[in-house]
Amino acid sequence: MDIFLQQLINGLTVGSLYALVALGYTMVYGVMKLINFAHGDLVALSAFAGLTIYVEIFGEGKNSLFVVLSVFVITALIIAFVGVLLERLAYRPLRTAPRLSAVVSALGASLVIQNSIMLIWGPNMKIFPSNLFPSTIWTLHGVVFTFTQVMIMGISALLMVGLYIFINKTKMGTAIRATAIDQDAAKLMGINVNRVIMTIFIIGSALGAVAGLFIGINYRGITFDMGWMYGLNAFVAAIMGGIGNIPGAMLGGILLGLFNAMISGYISSEWAETFTFVLLVVILIFRPTGILGETIAEKV
Amino acid sequence: MKRRLLKLATSIVATSALVASLNAADVIKIGVQAPITGKYANEGQSIDNGVKLVVAQYNANGGVLGKKLEVISCDDEGVAQKAAICARKLVNAGVLAVIGSYTSGATEAAQTTYYRNGVLQTSDGTSDSLTKHKYWTFFRNSFPNSAEAEFTAKYFVNVKHYKRIAIISDYSSYATGLADATVKALKKLNGNIIYRGKIKSGTQNFTAVLTKIKSMNPDVIYFSGYYNDGGLLRAQQIQLGIKADFVGGDSNDNPDFMKLAGSSAKGTYLINVPTPDILPYDIAKKFLKDYKAKYGMMPASIWTLLNIDGLRAILHGIKETKSTNTKKISNYLHTLKNFPGITGPITFRSDGERIGGGYMTYEVQGDNSYKIVYK
Repeated sequence: MDIFLQQLINGLTVGSLYALVALGYTMVYGVMKLINFAHGDLVALSAFAGLTIYVEIFGEGKNSLFVVLSVFVITALIIAFVGVLLERLAYRPLRTAPRLSAVVSALGASLVIQNSIMLIWGPNMKIFPSNLFPSTIWTLHGVVFTFTQVMIMGISALLMVGLYIFINKTKMGTAIRATAIDQDAAKLMGINVNRVIMTIFIIGSALGAVAGLFIGINYRGITFDMGWMYGLNAFVAAIMGGIGNIPGAMLGGILLGLFNAMISGYISSEWAETFTFVLLVVILIFRPTGILGETIAEKV
Repeated sequence: MKRRLLKLATSIVATSALVASLNAADVIKIGVQAPITGKYANEGQSIDNGVKLVVAQYNANGGVLGKKLEVISCDDEGVAQKAAICARKLVNAGVLAVIGSYTSGATEAAQTTYYRNGVLQTSDGTSDSLTKHKYWTFFRNSFPNSAEAEFTAKYFVNVKHYKRIAIISDYSSYATGLADATVKALKKLNGNIIYRGKIKSGTQNFTAVLTKIKSMNPDVIYFSGYYNDGGLLRAQQIQLGIKADFVGGDSNDNPDFMKLAGSSAKGTYLINVPTPDILPYDIAKKFLKDYKAKYGMMPASIWTLLNIDGLRAILHGIKETKSTNTKKISNYLHTLKNFPGITGPITFRSDGERIGGGYMTYEVQGDNSYKIVYK
């Protein structure tokens, strides 16, 4: 039983990270019907930017709540800015162009960001200091969980609840939902679509930035090309939950993490990825719009 | 006018071709195929730097056979597909010999191209399959997996008396080869293997596999892959409270392993040939001093030095045969006995295998230094 619970914790940790990244994909898709392939690379960029901010501004070894919080906030702001820039330069000019042009532009943007990371920080693996978060470890009935894991799960959950409230209860949230349903009609109703899209990119990128920092803090080693792997998994999670659907992305991310952990724990680690994708296919056969895709009519 | 232009063009082409051929006669080109970017960049850059250093030293002494040496580097990122492209590129550039690559997979992907074009190749790849083709162009400058596997098995069963052994590798041809060879050697000594699994390199999250291993109560976890995964495996093992020893194969011997593992690095065992700093030979000390002086740091690991030995053997071959005919050089290298190398005497078997090689087990100390615990 404790092994099962341990795998549950393992799965929830990585699942929360996937969910945070998946939100970026799903929100952009919901509003713009565009798959933002560069999103994964923004996640990688945030890990590198966060590390530099921490080391250069605050200095290694400092780990007070204020320092850690500032690193998160500054990094999220920077990545949000890059996200907006990305939309301005790579997507806005192509908004009326055929869908394929936008996809190619997204792939191009992904390569630009990835190679920029490599040129700025070099091709070598960079390593996060181990003391950013306290290395406290709790053991409960044989189940081990670390402070970092608790933070990842807790903060991700908080952010997701916050986002859910924002989308459903605020004026801007209503505007986002309206734009997702019909951009032209939203415009006619006096909604500033450009501002809605900018908001989407700010929120999506900032959530990705938090995920990137968590990846750096938890796994410590970061490489310029790691965005691709997290991006792919999160993209799968977004599709699994129903792309364009916010609770769907959260559910998809967490399910993907759990599937992976359970399959490598109980069947075989070699087959974990294969089985996960088989599962994705099965889900799409029975629910072509993803797990939550049909139950909620409105996208986003 | 047109005709005159044509004449001009042909004369330019002719002179440039002449200049090119003159140049070609004046220099001996040495290729470097290494993962200069990507996951193993740390090792690849070190190999590239090392080769450039040695070549500069030779050139300062007048080159070889009165010709200057020129280095042409190609980045294979440790990826087989890129390695095949590099092989073509280096062959087309007209290199006489290629140093590299670092990974067995990338080496194997390029091997046949070099063989078909008569280009000498020396690699530190330890996968046993590298010498199975018996290509006359290939020389291994390290020692094969099977030698390391036998040492590891002996250490586990006869010295440590481990009763429950878990073995993990990644999917690379090197790591699976080493893990399989270790399993074979352990079975010969009646070692009890309770788990043999694979992880996908670069996945970062290994907690699921480790939790599964935890439920099996192992005495030891042996990882045959590379340092960028090994350091994380060790850190996550400690995090999950798995009491077993952690033993890493030769490719875990890299400073980044310690950085990734952090405070968990202490107590890890690593199995490899002697580390650069404990090599007793004067030429080794001189090489390390020169490298430090030029690049401001030590080579990434022993792999750089092994590759440099391959390079030195080939250059020695060119000098002794007074020829740039690769077949002649190869024949000479196959008869070479105990050529004094940085990493010990060099002798090649007819299939290009380097003979000899002493392994050691190191225990990582609190300050990340190594203590030899068994040799």
